[in-house]
Amino acid sequence: MNEKPVALPSSFRDPAGYMFRQDQLIYRLITQAGQPAYDGLMKSGLYATLTAKKLLLPHAEMPASFQGTDAYKIILPEQLPFISYPWEWSFSQLQDAALLTLETAKTALDHGMSLKDATPYNIQWLSGSLIFIDTLSFEPYTEGQPWIAYRQFCESFLSPLLLMHYRKHSLHSLQLAWPDGIPLQITRSLLPWKSRFSVLTWMHIHLHGKYAAKTGAAKEKKAVLPLAKFRQLLSSLEMLIRSLKLEEKGTTWGDYYTEAATRNDYLGQKEKIIRDWTEAMTDIKKVVDVGANNGCFSLPLAEKGFFTVAADGDPVAINKLYKNIRTGHLKNMIPLIIDFMHPSPAMGLGNQERTSFLERIGKDNLGLCLAFIHHLCLGKNIPLSRVAELFAASCRQLIIEFVPKADEKAQLILNGKKDIYPDYHQGGFEQAFSEYFIIEKKATVPGSVRVLYQLILK
Amino acid sequence: MIHSLLYLDPGSGSYLVQALIGALLGIVMFFKNIKMYLLSLFNRLFKKPKDE
Repeated sequence: MNEKPVALPSSFRDPAGYMFRQDQLIYRLITQAGQPAYDGLMKSGLYATLTAKKLLLPHAEMPASFQGTDAYKIILPEQLPFISYPWEWSFSQLQDAALLTLETAKTALDHGMSLKDATPYNIQWLSGSLIFIDTLSFEPYTEGQPWIAYRQFCESFLSPLLLMHYRKHSLHSLQLAWPDGIPLQITRSLLPWKSRFSVLTWMHIHLHGKYAAKTGAAKEKKAVLPLAKFRQLLSSLEMLIRSLKLEEKGTTWGDYYTEAATRNDYLGQKEKIIRDWTEAMTDIKKVVDVGANNGCFSLPLAEKGFFTVAADGDPVAINKLYKNIRTGHLKNMIPLIIDFMHPSPAMGLGNQERTSFLERIGKDNLGLCLAFIHHLCLGKNIPLSRVAELFAASCRQLIIEFVPKADEKAQLILNGKKDIYPDYHQGGFEQAFSEYFIIEKKATVPGSVRVLYQLILK
Repeated sequence: MIHSLLYLDPGSGSYLVQALIGALLGIVMFFKNIKMYLLSLFNRLFKKPKDE
C-alpha cells in the first residue's frame, strides 16, 4: 500500500491508531505512538488470555508489505456483522457490557496492563455474545496509578444503569442525550435521595461527583491508588452492577404474544405461512424485523440461518428477547430497541461518528413488518404511501401484514378517534405498495381478518 | 460548577477521589464480607433444602 489509509469518521480520538476500510474489510492501523500499547498487549500475554476467554476481538497482523509509511503495524480484526449503540441496548445488555468491561480491566491488571477506555462503544455483539473490540484500549500499568477510565465508566455505564434501577423505567434514550456518558452531577440530581443508603452508589456516584468537581489539578497528579485497592475498586463496581435490575412492569407490548397466542392459533398459522415463504429464499443477507416484540417471528428465521436484526420500540420486550438469546445457541441475531417512528439518528462529529439506524441496515434486506402497519398508519397518521416509500428504501423483499380496520386491535386504536383514514383498506394498501413492489404472494391468516403479503422490490 | 468542568480533561478530578474511595472500600468490603458470611450461615442453619 502506497497511499496513507483514510481513517473512518468515527476513528479519530486515539493517537495510537485508527480504523480504515479497504476492499470491504475494516483494518486497524497502529501508529508509532501506539507501539508501547500494542506491544504491551501482545507480549504481556493479555491478548492471548482475553481472546481465549472470548472477551476481546481477535485479529491477524498484516505482512509488512501491506503497511503505510508511518504505521507501526496494520491488523485485520475479526469483522463485525453489525454495529449498534448503547441507546439501542436494553438494560440487561448494557449491564452485561459493563460487567465485560470490568472483567477486561481486571484481566488487564493481571498482566501488568491497564484499561484506559471504558466506553460502551468499545463493546459490540459478535456470534451470540458481547465482545470488547478496541485492541488499543490498553496501556502499560505503573503501580500506584489510579484508573484513568474510572470517571468514564461511572458516567457511561453506572449512571444509566443506576437511573434505570432506581427510577424503574428504561431510560436508554438518556444516552442519546449524553453520548459520552451522563455527567455525575446530573446523575446525582436525578437519583432519588434514598440511593445514598446504598454505600457503593453513594461512593461511586455521590461522593465521586462531589469531589471530582472540586479537586485541583496539582493534587490530582499526586494521587496514589495501590494495586490491591485498584482491584477492590473494580470488584466493588462489579458487585454494585450485578445487584442492579430493571423492574419489568408490563408495558403495552411486553405480554402481547401471551395474549395473542390464545386467539385461534393465529400465531401458529402466521408462522407457518412465513416459514413456507422464506423456505425458498436463499439470496437474503439479512432480515430486519421492525416490530419484533419478543422475537416470536424473527427467532425462527435466525434459527434457519438468516442474520437477523430484531428491532422494537418496547424496551421490556427487547430485554426479554436479549435475555432469551444471550445464553442460547443462537449466534446470528441482534435485538435492539428501535422506535421505527424515530430510528436512531446519525450522531457525533459532523454527524458521521455514529451512523443512523437506516444507514446501518442498508438496503439488501428482507424486511418483516408484522402486526405493525396499523400502528404506523392509524396510530401515528402516516399515509400508506409514505410507509411503502420507507420500506422501499430499506429492503429488497418485504413480508408485511395488513391489519384492516375491522380487526379488533385496529379497532382499539381507532376507538375514540375520528376516522380520518379513508384510504386505509386492502385496496389502498395494495395500490400504495405496488408503486414500489411486485406482489409475489398473499394469504389471509386463518382465524383472523389480517392478510400477509410477500413483496419484491421492482 | 458544572461550567468550570468544561476546561478539565474527562478523567481529571477522579484520581484523588479514587484514593479516598479505595481507603473507604477496605472498611466497606470488610463489613460486606461479614454480612455475606452471616447470611450464608443463616441460610445453612435455618433453611431446609428444597428437595427434602
